[in-house]
Amino acid sequence: MKHFFRSLREFPALLNVGAASMVAYRAEMVLWILSATLPLIMLAVWDRVAMDGPVRGFDQGKFALYFAATLIVRQLSGAWVVWELNHQIRTGGLSSALLRPVFPGLWFAAENLAAIPIRLVILVPIVLLIWWWRPELASNFDAIYVPIALISTLFAWLGNFCIQWLFGSFAFWLGQTLGLYNLWFGIWALFSGYLIPFAVMPESMADVARWLPFRALLGTPVDVFSNRLPWSNVVFELGLQLFWVTTLGLLASFVWRMGLRRYEAFGS
Amino acid sequence: MDCPTCVDKHVIRVENLCKTYRVPQKPPGLVGSLRSLFSREVQQVHAVQNVTFEIQPGERVGFLGPNGAGKTTTLKMLSGLLVPTSGQINVRGFRPSDRDPDFLRRITLVMGQKQQLLWDLPPYESLELNRALYAISRAQFQETVGQLRDLLDLGALLDRPVRNLSLGERMKCELAVALLHRPDVLFLDEPTIGLDVTMQATVRTFIAEWNQRYGVTVLLTSHYMQDIAALCNRVIVIDGGKLVYDGDLGALARNIAPHRRILLRSHTEMTLDALSAYGPFVREGGSTVASVHASVVNSIVNRLLVDIPDIELSVEDASLESIIARLFQRGEGETRNGRQ
Repeated sequence: MKHFFRSLREFPALLNVGAASMVAYRAEMVLWILSATLPLIMLAVWDRVAMDGPVRGFDQGKFALYFAATLIVRQLSGAWVVWELNHQIRTGGLSSALLRPVFPGLWFAAENLAAIPIRLVILVPIVLLIWWWRPELASNFDAIYVPIALISTLFAWLGNFCIQWLFGSFAFWLGQTLGLYNLWFGIWALFSGYLIPFAVMPESMADVARWLPFRALLGTPVDVFSNRLPWSNVVFELGLQLFWVTTLGLLASFVWRMGLRRYEAFGS
Repeated sequence: MDCPTCVDKHVIRVENLCKTYRVPQKPPGLVGSLRSLFSREVQQVHAVQNVTFEIQPGERVGFLGPNGAGKTTTLKMLSGLLVPTSGQINVRGFRPSDRDPDFLRRITLVMGQKQQLLWDLPPYESLELNRALYAISRAQFQETVGQLRDLLDLGALLDRPVRNLSLGERMKCELAVALLHRPDVLFLDEPTIGLDVTMQATVRTFIAEWNQRYGVTVLLTSHYMQDIAALCNRVIVIDGGKLVYDGDLGALARNIAPHRRILLRSHTEMTLDALSAYGPFVREGGSTVASVHASVVNSIVNRLLVDIPDIELSVEDASLESIIARLFQRGEGETRNGRQ
């Protein structure tokens, strides 16, 4: 742990190199961001559903705000470390990271975080377009929630990173874990609020989903952004999010350490 | 910066080191694939078996063995990438598999040409990254980069994207990045593989120079025997995961291939009958050749030079390749230790 915190001092240098890598891959990065348009598709679907009247209190403006927030949170809290880790364990590419005196997760984290400015450049015009298309979303928006929503988004990013680190680490045993991660992603999409807002979910489903980890990875910050959480619930929801992030972090760390003992450094 | 737990004179101490891989077996074809979905056989591969050796500070040791002998596996265990199945390793007072950051700051492992370099960025970015990760002061960074730039003739290579560099150029940059933090122990796995003759010589000269300048310990694997002959007095040979020789390179040559070839050329006619008084000469191409024991070479050469005035002769050692090949052919169970 002492070494981990010492490694954190080097994080700015890692961010610099991560940003340089992102610039080298900028065209691919833009395409990658544009491909994550599912919230826009869901907005079109739900907007059509709400054309004849609100659905459980959700009118077209609220759906617009909700899915704009979903797009923002998804872009800012997204990680791709599962693909990187899976590939590097399988091919032995992880060796170079393991030879350096810092925890390899920091390098991957820096690379993920360094992409955020590029993501914002793409994101802002899309959100402005949604606003132009459904100007009534502004009436439901309250800027006072933004700082809390950003903290909640940071927790969501940490949670996503940890869960991807966990699935990536399974590659020490399985060799290829993307199928397993895709299964997780499918369940996550259903229970996190990515496809269906919590307020619109069947009540029994929402009651269960509220206590599962998926909400902490997207639904909580989206609900804060879109003004869906009363102040009295905010602290509790952020606490629950922190609980899941800590749990997933500990689990990922345990599986990583066990997996390292099985690492075979193939191909290098 | 000496390690507080380093109490013996050895930089590296390896005792009864073993590594066993579990390799899944899959029968060929679609049926085999389907069958392996439900029951998969696993084969135990003993890559390294009871290997023991010690290396002292500043030594340059060649690590030899045929493909699959266990050389790279041993290097990976020594550098902490792999956890041994059993046995003990101590490198500079650390157990490598703990991957203590203080241990990682003291070693480097170079494997191939695409290890530490960031593929899409110029090598200078990788150097800058390592400067931060290894907490190297700006002054030391500039001094070391300057030295590496001169010794490896890096010129403008540091500013071009790695993907645009040739194999040899990448290798030079790889070495620069790997040595930036001035490690005490260098593990080099095939550092000259795929390089042309000139570049091989550059890399060899550099390793020797760096070893002399900083007194670093070098453990080197190579399939090019010129690397071993030029850099290492001592060799450790493993075959089938077992240590078969550890000792002086010259002693290995004398032991395995004690004969030398004497090649003769003369303007006057020399019959084999006449030459038989000196040794078992035969015609080979345009030359007259005899293979004789190293202990009698000098006396034969002296007699030939005195008796035949216009003779031209040369003495050839057995090539290192042939010596190693013969060593591997001797089979298991013949472990030699040239170190007395």
